[in-house]
Amino acid sequence: MIEPFHNLFKARLAPRQIRRDSNFEEIGLKLKMEISSIFGRSLAIREVDSGSDNATEIECNNLSTPYYDIERFGVSFVASPKHADILLVTGAVTLNMEMAVLKTYEVMPFPKLVIAVGDDACDGGIFKSTYAVRGGVDKILPVDIKIPGNPPTPTAIINGFLALMEQLRNQPRKS
Amino acid sequence: MDNEKKIPANLLLNKICQDYFTRAEPNEFYLPVSEEAFAELIPQLPKFETLLISLFCVENFAGSTGFTLFYVLEKRRAQNFVILLRRLNGNEASSIAEYFPSAGWFEREIRDGFGIEFTNSVDKRRLFLHEGYPHDFHPLLKSFKNRDITENRKSMSGAGKYLFKEVKGSGVYQILVGPVHAGIIEPGHFHFSVIGETIFNLEVRLFYKHRGLEKLAEGKTPAEAIIVAETISGDESAANTVAYCLAVEKIAQGSVPERAGYLRTILLEMERIYSHLGDLAGMNVDIAFPVGASDFFVLREEILRFNETLTGSRFLKGLICPGGLKRDIDSRDLFKLYSYLDSFLRRLRRAADYVLHNESVIDRLDTTGVIKKELVQPLNITGPAARASGVGIDNRIDHPYGIYPFFELAIRTQEKGDVHSRFDVKLSEIQDSVEIIQKSVSALKSGSVLDPISLKDGYGLAVVESARGQNLHWVYIKNGLIERYKVRTASFCNWQSIEHAVIGNIVPDFPLINKSLNLSYAGTDL
Repeated sequence: MIEPFHNLFKARLAPRQIRRDSNFEEIGLKLKMEISSIFGRSLAIREVDSGSDNATEIECNNLSTPYYDIERFGVSFVASPKHADILLVTGAVTLNMEMAVLKTYEVMPFPKLVIAVGDDACDGGIFKSTYAVRGGVDKILPVDIKIPGNPPTPTAIINGFLALMEQLRNQPRKS
Repeated sequence: MDNEKKIPANLLLNKICQDYFTRAEPNEFYLPVSEEAFAELIPQLPKFETLLISLFCVENFAGSTGFTLFYVLEKRRAQNFVILLRRLNGNEASSIAEYFPSAGWFEREIRDGFGIEFTNSVDKRRLFLHEGYPHDFHPLLKSFKNRDITENRKSMSGAGKYLFKEVKGSGVYQILVGPVHAGIIEPGHFHFSVIGETIFNLEVRLFYKHRGLEKLAEGKTPAEAIIVAETISGDESAANTVAYCLAVEKIAQGSVPERAGYLRTILLEMERIYSHLGDLAGMNVDIAFPVGASDFFVLREEILRFNETLTGSRFLKGLICPGGLKRDIDSRDLFKLYSYLDSFLRRLRRAADYVLHNESVIDRLDTTGVIKKELVQPLNITGPAARASGVGIDNRIDHPYGIYPFFELAIRTQEKGDVHSRFDVKLSEIQDSVEIIQKSVSALKSGSVLDPISLKDGYGLAVVESARGQNLHWVYIKNGLIERYKVRTASFCNWQSIEHAVIGNIVPDFPLINKSLNLSYAGTDL
């Protein structure tokens, strides 16, 4: 039975909780600085699942949960590829998803970057040369960085973002 | 076998319902049926509370040539399974979707895989082969050797257009969503026909993630194929791997050491806990109540971290193998888990209290996305979705496996079948799982965790209760290699319930209903 005045009379402040991972924080702060210098303020990522087992999606979702909260570092997952700087693809590319991934990439504004997350996305993994799968993401799109793992942990994923920023900083700027 | 073919249908029915299903020694019974007896038998079966839980095809089964269809039947409150074997002459068969609606998708799946035509079926569209696949391509035929089929292709579209069921009329409009969605979700296409804001009809099109897992397993040794079972659905990997191992162990007549049995149970229940926690959080996110969600997210992250401590993988991969476990789990870590779970329960109850004392939350959850009880049997809906609609089924109790018979398990049911009921069922099940884990840790004795199995040829069925419901694995080993591996996860059947659950609801409630059912795309698409 729901007590109607429950929330009125009982203060329901959440206790202050500190659950931060020092390693993750360190990478996050570095990433924030890189993003500020390369992208201005923020980095917009569009995630597309091209055929993963859903564990990689769960880890990407975890980046936005209280333990990690990646938006603090200027990274946001956006709803439309038209708003995105980066296309994050998880899973080996299945024949059934090939067209959808290509179309998503096409509508992104330039300059566009691609990250492959997970073992299967990197090179096709156990699905290499089977009938249902084209292979890794690099078979159909130019991939800028690969983050291996089955699935990669949230820390591994954010580390991959940082590596991509460093790669961008070191490469000559295209006109 | 030939003698049984001559048995008339009414005797066969008696034999199935009064002998095979009720026999005390738990088993699966394979029953070859003649075409005439089959035609007579099928219309009578649904009257005896018999469900079709899977239907699949095997080519050149047990020395025969041609196709054999396997109709896997379950009866409520009966421990055994009866599998009707229907040998086909050629590649045509009659459809049984009229009597068992759950057969609809199974038959389309077989048609794609093997090219078998179901003569009187109403839906002859392809299922897992989308437009990109050429005509007359049937990957599960033995004559097709697994290879990249895109090398010499001329265009990206092979077969014709996929037609959706569309409701037309004044004021009706269509909303097309997917396969790429707005959030971080798996791909699937939803075709809504909407009047105002109310959903009038929904058609789901899945299989965008079809990775060809069943074909991939063929020709591998049983040890090599573990990775295929693990990758069926990432957040169901323990349940699927255990089911696969149970089937292989059954064929090899092997056993699992007691310690491994308990450890497997701990892993299975850890999986149920983090999966359900994700749903409770997700339901809060989908009603725009992130404050309520964050407590559940925090708890789930802590469980995932324990998974990593116990197994080295946050998703419990790489430990379970036929015969037990690949390596032992440190008892000190298990004791840490035991004491953590006490505070976990307190925090879970506090988080749930906070959410369920919020009027606007209840307003969104109550009466939303109702699955009627009558749908559960014909569509073979299982797991929390069935229990929330008042059907008390749980494979851990109905078809016990592992060490579950040692526990007194409760079945948590709710009557209303709405999102709120599913929230409540999942919440209680997390608490039950905590109890099972704590009891298992207390009962653990030291000992070996692996009893290597000696491989034999043969076939076997294993059914487990994953977080989503009933997962069924059928393995057929020939010459020491996997000849056929059939997987049917709970999501495959449960997906069809969503088309009914959303009718009359508003479009913004669709994500909430979807989340409350927690359907795996990967586990369905295979």
